[in-house]
Parts: sequence; C-alpha cells; structure tokens
Amino acid sequence: MKKDANLIINGSGSYPGGRYDKISIRGEGTIVSDVECSSFHVYGTSEAVENVKTGSVKILGEAEVKGNIEAEETLIMGTMSVGSRAQMKKIKILGLLEVGEGLIGDQASIKGSIVVNGDVEYETFDSSGGFEIKGLLTADTIKVGLRFGQSTAEEIGGGKITVKKKKNTLLPFGKEVGTLKAKVIEGDDIFLENTTADIVRGNQVKIGQGCQIGLVEYREHLSQDSQATIKTKTKI
Amino acid sequence: MSEELISKKELLELAGISYGQLYRWKRKDLIPEEWFVRKSTFTGQETFFPKEKILERINKIQTMKENLSLDELADMFSPSLSDLQLDRDELIKRNIVSNAVMNLYLENDQSGPKFNFSRMLEVYVLEKLLQSGEINLDEGKMLLQVLKDNAALIKQKSCELMITRKLGVSSCLLLINAEEVHFERGTKVVVQVSLMTCMEEIKSKLV
Repeated sequence: MKKDANLIINGSGSYPGGRYDKISIRGEGTIVSDVECSSFHVYGTSEAVENVKTGSVKILGEAEVKGNIEAEETLIMGTMSVGSRAQMKKIKILGLLEVGEGLIGDQASIKGSIVVNGDVEYETFDSSGGFEIKGLLTADTIKVGLRFGQSTAEEIGGGKITVKKKKNTLLPFGKEVGTLKAKVIEGDDIFLENTTADIVRGNQVKIGQGCQIGLVEYREHLSQDSQATIKTKTKI
Repeated sequence: MSEELISKKELLELAGISYGQLYRWKRKDLIPEEWFVRKSTFTGQETFFPKEKILERINKIQTMKENLSLDELADMFSPSLSDLQLDRDELIKRNIVSNAVMNLYLENDQSGPKFNFSRMLEVYVLEKLLQSGEINLDEGKMLLQVLKDNAALIKQKSCELMITRKLGVSSCLLLINAEEVHFERGTKVVVQVSLMTCMEEIKSKLV
C-alpha cells in the first residue's frame, strides 16, 4: 500500500482534509474538511473545521476541532477544544481540554483540567487536576486527587471511587485546598474527602474529612470522620 | 409512558449486580441511554429503569457473558446498521415481515435474498402499512421507490414517511427533519410513519 503524504505547515496555511500520514503544524494552520492521519501534532495554533481521526495527538500549542475527534493516544500540554464528541482512548492532559459533547475512552490521566459539557466515560479515570463535567462521570476506577479549585460533576458512578485531598505542591505558599462537588455519587467502594454531594450510594462507604453529604445510602459498611457532616444515613 | 419503573437500588438488589457492573454495561452501551430515567424523589435524585425491559436485558447479559465478550454483546444489542445481513427466512421467522409481503417485495427488488439494514427497513415499512390496510399495492411500490432512492439520507437523520391522496391520486413524501408540513385543502394524509421508530422496532425484534 502506498504511504500517504505528510502535511507539514510551517508558517501559516489553510489546507483541505483527506488522508495524510503525519500532520505537523508549527505555525498557524487550518484544515477545512474531514481529515484522517496517523499522527496530529500541533506546536502552534491549529483549527480543524470538521472531524479528525488519528492515531496520536500531541498538542503543545492550541488546537481547535469543530466536529468530532477520534484518537488512540493523546497528550495535551497546551489547550485543545473539541466541538462535539471526543473519542480518545488514552489521554494524558497537562494543559486544558474542552469538549462540547461527550468524552469517551479507556484511560484518562488528568493533571491539567478538563471541561466537558456531556458525559465522560473511561475505564480508569485518574485526575489530580481539575474537572468540570456537566453530565455523568463514569469509570471502573475513579481516582481523584484534589489539589486546587473546585471540581464538579453532575453525577459520578463506577466501581471504585476514591477522592482524596492532596497537598498543593505547586503553590507552596497558598493555603487553598481543592474541593469536589457532585449531585450524586454511586459506586461499590467509595472513599471521599473534601466532597460536597447531595446523595452518596454504595456498598462500602467511607466519608472522610471535610465532606458534606445530604444522604448516604449504604449496603454493607459506613464510616464517618469526625470532621464530616452527613445529614441522613440509611442502610439498605 | 405507563410502564412500571424500578429504581436503581432495587434493581441492583433484585438482579444481584453491583454499581460497577451496571455502569460498565452502560459504558459499553449494553443498556441504552433512554432507559435511564432520572427523577426527583423526596430524598433527592434517583435513576429509574423500565422494569421489564431492564430485567430481561440484564438476564440476557448475565447468561451470555460467559460465552461472549462485552464488546461482542454490545454489537448484538445494537446491531450496527452497516454490517448486519440476514436472509429472508430469518426475517420471516423473527416476525419482521410476513411471507406474502416478502414475496411481493422480492418481486419488486431483485437484489437477492440477503437483507442489509436498509432493505430490512424497506420491507418492514411495507409490511407495516400494507398489513394495516392503510395503503394499496401501488402506493406500496411507490413507497419502496422513495425509500430506495433516498436510502443514504435515511440512515442517520430523523425521517418521516408520508403518503397523501387527493382526488384519487396518491403521492409519497419523505420528510427529513421537518417540523411542519401543510397541504392545500382536499389533500388527505393517508399515513405518516417515523422511520426512526420503525428502525427501533426492527432492532427490538432482532435482539
């Protein structure tokens, strides 16, 4: 099979979509239609007007995809915004990712922040940054380290959910601690700290320091830190 | 909707599954999004499911997951429109189409006994309207023509099929994302069906 050509934009340019092998944008580039490539690297500013399908995404600058994106591996150190759906198998985010609809994949590691207007579905979701999720956050294992700011999700659901506050190593003089806010948290094994939620449902539930929970429904076990408030507890 | 609903926690208890499993199946699309009915109760928000459907589905998942992977199961529950192929006997057996209508369809369409999803849709709509007695044979042929000519358009969008008659002359329209349609006086809308609903009906018969 003939290998597809590379698309390298140094400087500024606007190009049609289609199939490419590697795409590398170092200046300012626009791709005006659907594009499929083996890798999509942006070191400057880029805009894809429609959809992108690729193997690996690396964003060190700024990238905007107006339609959907489908990628195997993604590393974002700059900012990326996706207009509709993002299907990204493995993501590592040190910068910022914004998604207009849903974000779906296998493994997520978030050290920067994500803003998603729909649902987030992963097998493992590990965040030590911040997130703002308007829909449901679901993963088999959800690990959240709260370092700064307030992370929010409408609902959180999964197997094992761990939310821990972390020392802020980046800003040693600031005393700010991170918090998590959600309406409903449901899981088999739940551990929470610094979390405000209306309802927490689970089999094994541990409510740690700094939590404010409206209702906890548990099946097997509930433990509560002395510095946490739970309005109502029910065993089912 | 007058179906009986079941809350998530009752469901977990009844089916003996965990939150982790339920969410995993949801992620794999084994349980359709529409079945998650969110409601406010006096204690706060709760999720409910249509009881019969969800219990049947969970039962299926549990019995089949021994032999199939979750991904294979997901394919089964949401037959991807592109690569599903069935033959005529299978369609008749699954009650998608009756023998008589199938023969009629094959008289008008000689592309063989293998049915992909768009042909299934065509034959199903034909079956549905002919059986209900709302349209006659000629209108049926016209309808097939419209569906075939626009097969590519139908796939993703919300389409409706409409048949009208005026002074004994009938015509068949395909409405795509239409909000309203108006006709001159004297036109009678014989039938209007949503193709989306038809597709769902077919899918539910395939599972």
